[in-house]
Amino acid sequence: LHSSAMRLAEGAVIGLPRALLFFELYPFWRAFFNGLGLVCAVSAPTSPETIEIGAREADDGTCLPVKTFYGHAASLRDRVDAIFLPRLVSLTRGTYTCPKMLGIPDMIRHNLERMPRILVTCVDATRGTGLVESSVALGRSLGRSAAHARTAARAGLEALRVFRDGLEQNLSFSQAIVEQFPREISRLCRETGNDASVGPGRRLRARVGLVGHAYNLFDPGVNLDLVRKLAKLGCDLRTSEHLSLVEVEAESSLLPKAIFWSGGRRVLAAVSLFRRQRLVDGIIHVVSFGCGPDSMVGEIAEREIRRSSSLPYLALTIDEHAAEAGLVTRLEAFTDMLERRRAGVGSA
Amino acid sequence: MGNLWITIKTILEDLGIEVVVPPRPSRQSLDVGVRHAPEFACFPLKLNIGDLVGGIQNGADTIVMAGGVGPCRFGHYAQVETQVLRDLGHQVEMVVLEPPQGRLAELLMKINYLTGGKSLRRVWRAIGFGLEKLQALDGLDRALAWARPLGTPARAERAGPGYPSSGAAGLGWAHRRAVMAIADAAGVEATRREARRGLEAIALAAGLDPLEKGLAPSGRDGPALRVGLVGEIFMIAEPFANQEIERRLGDLGVEVVRSLYISDWVRTHLLPRVLAPRRHVRLVARAARPYLGHFVGGEGLESVGEAVLYEQRGFDGVIQVAPLTCMPEIVAASLLPEVSRDLGLPVLSLFLDEHTGEAGLQTRLEAFVDLLARRRVASGRGRGTR
Repeated sequence: LHSSAMRLAEGAVIGLPRALLFFELYPFWRAFFNGLGLVCAVSAPTSPETIEIGAREADDGTCLPVKTFYGHAASLRDRVDAIFLPRLVSLTRGTYTCPKMLGIPDMIRHNLERMPRILVTCVDATRGTGLVESSVALGRSLGRSAAHARTAARAGLEALRVFRDGLEQNLSFSQAIVEQFPREISRLCRETGNDASVGPGRRLRARVGLVGHAYNLFDPGVNLDLVRKLAKLGCDLRTSEHLSLVEVEAESSLLPKAIFWSGGRRVLAAVSLFRRQRLVDGIIHVVSFGCGPDSMVGEIAEREIRRSSSLPYLALTIDEHAAEAGLVTRLEAFTDMLERRRAGVGSA
Repeated sequence: MGNLWITIKTILEDLGIEVVVPPRPSRQSLDVGVRHAPEFACFPLKLNIGDLVGGIQNGADTIVMAGGVGPCRFGHYAQVETQVLRDLGHQVEMVVLEPPQGRLAELLMKINYLTGGKSLRRVWRAIGFGLEKLQALDGLDRALAWARPLGTPARAERAGPGYPSSGAAGLGWAHRRAVMAIADAAGVEATRREARRGLEAIALAAGLDPLEKGLAPSGRDGPALRVGLVGEIFMIAEPFANQEIERRLGDLGVEVVRSLYISDWVRTHLLPRVLAPRRHVRLVARAARPYLGHFVGGEGLESVGEAVLYEQRGFDGVIQVAPLTCMPEIVAASLLPEVSRDLGLPVLSLFLDEHTGEAGLQTRLEAFVDLLARRRVASGRGRGTR
């Protein structure tokens, strides 16, 4: 992919598909591109139509998150000057994202027609090209000076830090975003509005650990508004995204072999932390249908939990055919069970 | 995985370790695997768990398993298997051999533990012996795939007494017999001798005189259709997993060439970097680059690159075999249609698992071969062999 090497004028609009690692890295890219004098356009929140387009364009075997990504990329193509499709190989040393994320810039380029210019940069922290190095390289290929690109990348890192701090304080995705981009409150907050705690005036019935990929937890269009549904049922949530990287690494070191997928590593760390510190009454693992890492990580998590505790564990598999009513029934049953167990423990 | 067990058995026995060989993969072992493996795991893991349970039932107390550093799921097979076996109540020890880019010292310690402190030179010699067998076995597989389209009954008759009358069956018989002889061969010399004998037997069964080297087989209706087999290594190498796709294609008159033989895979994945066939790896990556610019784990990049190379070598078509939900191969399968359109190369992607029906697979293969044969006629390069 050599399409990157051409100057992009100030004020040009860059499209960011609201899918996959957008939910982990958006603040970085946003601050970085703004620092280069470029404008970011985020695709509209996931709708049934997004998923439908994605399912039509993508290979049958791909998982729901990748199909969703196709849908978002397709929705951007007529209204931006360039689409940004980073190749996210490895975000921290010694980990990988997943094979499909490694291939996604190529998959999009060869399967979606009428695409505008595609911006690619390869983030591979394991081989020494982290977020900063790769974005500086991208900035230079867009005709910016090295110093300019480096300043923008530093601004990106700072934005990412503030965002992660917010998440670690148990803020929802939208709240953490809003902290640093206040002007977007009205729009982004409504769009990704995931309130992770029980609203005022509601009774707390259970504490639930919600684990899974950020793009499953924070995308209400994909998870059928799971977070809000749980809050409405009276669940207080802790998600795997609320763990700091330090916590993830500390918990992973307790395992015989740390998982090499960064998403899976975080999920297992969260399960282990929630269980050991008795932070939750039950765990819900949001799994994408067709996700390779989830199929392994889910199995390890479930067996670990079963063997070492009596913590209830619910694996929710979501795909493009997921139905609202079925989900609600399962969540209600799970919450009822957790509440009864809480009462039982209290009276015993 | 294919005949890899012979190599591993040879290496370990040469080092004085008792080896328990699980039964060949079968419907039965697969059922065991499917019952205990994660529902959405990939197909090789299910077969693998079935094999491990079979091995334990045959008396194994230690399991030696290859590992990996990602991003393909294979790298975490060992962890999931440890958990599954533990929950089944099997008290076995799992020794995971990871590629040396993990931690070399750790690998050496594990080898030291397994061999009871044999010197590294001794271990190295055993590995060399095992690899010699692997080479020989892959050579037999190559010869078999080449000879299959020739193996007509008339030729088997000419091959002389002692062979079953049907040509295809005679070939299979000669091949199986040679495999067993190599498995039992006691040294490098004996291995080479048996390999030569096996190749001759296959040539005879195909109705060729092994002394007439270099002569084109006479009486063929033009050269056979040639298909390159790309995809995930386990599915390529294990006939039970791929439902004997090579035999099926051979019976349809197609010569099958694998993009990857087990010896290639061992050299690129399990041996230190210096011994890896770097030239070919680079060649494949360059061929893939217009479509896929980065490795994606497993054999994803190879599937794309090798398909391009097959077209350059004048192959009639390419078949991709992969386990259902295999991540690297899904990436490849998303790009192969574009390769096919650009180069005018017929490509058939087959994602297989425990639910794949035999009749459905056979029908798809026949349709694909028909297509290739018609293209052959249309291009004026002689007619297909069917």
